Amino acid sequence: MALVFFVGLTLSFVDFRGWMPTGWVHALAGWQFVPAAVLLSTGVLSLALVGMVLLTFLLGRVYCSTLCPLGVYQDIVARIADRFRPKKLLLRFAQPHSRIRYGFLGITLVGIAVGAAGFSLALLDPYSNYGRIASSLFRPLGILINNGVATVGNSMGTYAIYHVTPSWAPWAALLLPIIMLLIVTVMAATRGRLYCNTICPVGTFLGGIARFSLFRLEIKPTDCHKCAACIRHCKAQCIDLRAGQVDFSRCVGCMNCIDACDRQAMRLVFKGTKVQRHKGTKWADVRRQKEEGSNATPAQPANPQRRAFLTSSTTGLIGLTGSLLVPKALRAEPTNPSSGSTTLPASEVVCPPGAVSKVRFLDTCTSCQLCISICPTHVIEPAFLEYGVQGLMKPRLNFSRSFCNFECKRCTEVCPDGALLPLTLADKKLTSIGVAHLDQSLCIVEKNGTDCAACSEHCPTKAVDTIPFRDGLFLPKVDESLCIGCGACEYACPAKPKAIIVTGSSTHGRARIKVEQKAVNPTEGDDFPF
Amino acid sequence: MNIDRRKFLQKGLAVGATVTFLASAKLLGEDTAKSATGDKVPAKNPDLGAGDKKSVLVAVRDGDRVTMLNRAMDALGGMGVFVKKGQTVLIKPNAGWDVTPECAANTHPDIVGQLVKLCFLAGAKEVKIFDHTCDNWQRAYANSGIEKAARDAGATLVNGNDESMYHEVEIPGAVKLKKTRVHELVMKCDVFINAPVLKHHGGATMTSCMKNLMGCTWDRGFYHQNDLHQCIADFLLYKKPALNIVDAYHPMVRNGPRGKGVEDVVEMKTLLASTDIVVADAAAAKLLGHKPEAIRHVSIASAMGLGSMDLENIAIQRIKIA
Repeated sequence: MALVFFVGLTLSFVDFRGWMPTGWVHALAGWQFVPAAVLLSTGVLSLALVGMVLLTFLLGRVYCSTLCPLGVYQDIVARIADRFRPKKLLLRFAQPHSRIRYGFLGITLVGIAVGAAGFSLALLDPYSNYGRIASSLFRPLGILINNGVATVGNSMGTYAIYHVTPSWAPWAALLLPIIMLLIVTVMAATRGRLYCNTICPVGTFLGGIARFSLFRLEIKPTDCHKCAACIRHCKAQCIDLRAGQVDFSRCVGCMNCIDACDRQAMRLVFKGTKVQRHKGTKWADVRRQKEEGSNATPAQPANPQRRAFLTSSTTGLIGLTGSLLVPKALRAEPTNPSSGSTTLPASEVVCPPGAVSKVRFLDTCTSCQLCISICPTHVIEPAFLEYGVQGLMKPRLNFSRSFCNFECKRCTEVCPDGALLPLTLADKKLTSIGVAHLDQSLCIVEKNGTDCAACSEHCPTKAVDTIPFRDGLFLPKVDESLCIGCGACEYACPAKPKAIIVTGSSTHGRARIKVEQKAVNPTEGDDFPF
Repeated sequence: MNIDRRKFLQKGLAVGATVTFLASAKLLGEDTAKSATGDKVPAKNPDLGAGDKKSVLVAVRDGDRVTMLNRAMDALGGMGVFVKKGQTVLIKPNAGWDVTPECAANTHPDIVGQLVKLCFLAGAKEVKIFDHTCDNWQRAYANSGIEKAARDAGATLVNGNDESMYHEVEIPGAVKLKKTRVHELVMKCDVFINAPVLKHHGGATMTSCMKNLMGCTWDRGFYHQNDLHQCIADFLLYKKPALNIVDAYHPMVRNGPRGKGVEDVVEMKTLLASTDIVVADAAAAKLLGHKPEAIRHVSIASAMGLGSMDLENIAIQRIKIA
């Protein structure tokens, strides 16, 4: 199961030949916690979210062990790292780093509170982080390997494996995935799932729920001989043999300990509504209870962890409410660099179709880069500061690298956050994500006095058409009402600097359709015109 | 101990030298083989137009695409005139756009498929197809229907948007396009067949045979920056196709070259075939209601002596299938 999700999602991000059906990609990504939660904020309650919460409430953090690709990645790293060690690493029980973990959860929730949900979730969501790593690092690597094979193949006369141009993210947008990859890899290689239990807000959040899980791990004191086999197989350093307890809030639900225990002392037990107390019952107490045959439970000291969890959860709830009230004016607006002496407007960032508006997009997108990976023309790339700081690594269309294919709507089909809403092809073809602007003085036809019309040639809606100009030449002309901002004209324009550019619309509009009568045959008749 | 250090080194060096020698010999062998076939191309494919006083144009109308193509090829003496046994063939259709066949922005798959079949019947060793597409190439190949038709007929589709396959060539005598990067299949093939679709073009007025060859080069922006029509004509100095087939079954007569939809298309049920690329384009211009000299790249090419646009002095075979 874990491998299905890990391999499936990794392939979704790396797949540079467009083999993965978008339906599968969307379904796999839909079973990710943060995207499903964000989807809820857009008013859609997905079955997957209900499923994931119920599963956690039933069995603990199964999400972390099976569904989360970053989690499974860490297991793989840990396993490989162990191969290189003379002796398997023994991770003893460790106290929880509660300040840190609730701190990160708190930061995330405060982020949501001040209306920067898209930013804080984007930074810390494990799925989105894995997506960025896979999309901007694993994918180019896969392409480079493919190209090596293609070079050999082509020289031997086979063209089935072809070269793919690696679509590198801008270097600045590569930094964060690289840093995250290093942090996660090093932590996983040396401390198992430490990342999941200190930094990951989803781990901490689900851990909070796991403390109330109906079924939890329990060590049967009479059967346990403290052989520590369970500890050797535990990824999360959450089995406290001295206390005879499992910290279920940090247990990632791999259940390896159950298999490891040959005396069946480690068991998954129905606990009902009893909440876990870590520093409550001690091994000695249990023994004493057994010896005395007493039913009395020892005094329950105050639980700082539960307190912290409740505090941050409450902050989050207040935050979610607050975020609805925070005026949009507080949000970061990108600064526009002036574009010199042309009549062209300053370039304005273009977000993908289905985004509806830039503000909505920035709020809901967690920048997992699934749309970037799935885009057949690679026109979508992670932004650096084009959207402002809040839009770091969020997808934007870069028309200097490519343009949006008229007949394609894959990005809108895969988005798990609801940041890009699904569009029918007919709707997508009319969704105006930007508008083209022409500066005639920069145009080849005006400047060189020769025909060009590369822009009009590529325009799928004929928003850019050509009109007769001096000396029998044809000059491009833009009808903004027909333009959907696909960027084909800007990409194709051979002038330097570009004579035609597309500026993004902060709210996506709807273009008009140019209705024309059926064309007539210029050489009607039964004979050849020559 | 069987081998001492000295013997080991001696043997190692000997083996290494042999491998290096064999490898370089193989490379050299390949190179000479390539240039040999390259030189033989004109001899193997006598240009019908060049030898005769008049260029030949075959124009067919009122049949289905496959029938018209077959009749045209019969009139030219069969595909065997162009393709000899064991030769490699490159067919360059227009497959530039991610649209369906009925929108007529690409050469119709029936024509491509039948051309491939005829080439194999004539004994071609392999038939390859590519276009440097404007839209995403995988989508354009697939949705144009060309990928399926060509594969079914046994041809190999090659990525036309792979920059590493384009190599720089000098074009002596060119006015503007003095050098350009050309797809290696154009350089290597024994027989080069040009199979465009006839369309309106917003910048070049018309796109047919000559304009289609722009898709053999990497840097189309250069064309646009440096007098589009002149560059289109200049390319012919580098290479002229042995055979040109114009798909004018349902030409796009406005909003070209991409078109907006089927309403831009008119039914003409015509196919042109010629060994002279300028003749084919001159006739194509007439089909769209233009005088040949009104299409600047046609008149430039004619003036440069790369072919003839004087349809009055050309042997035209007109075939009506009805």
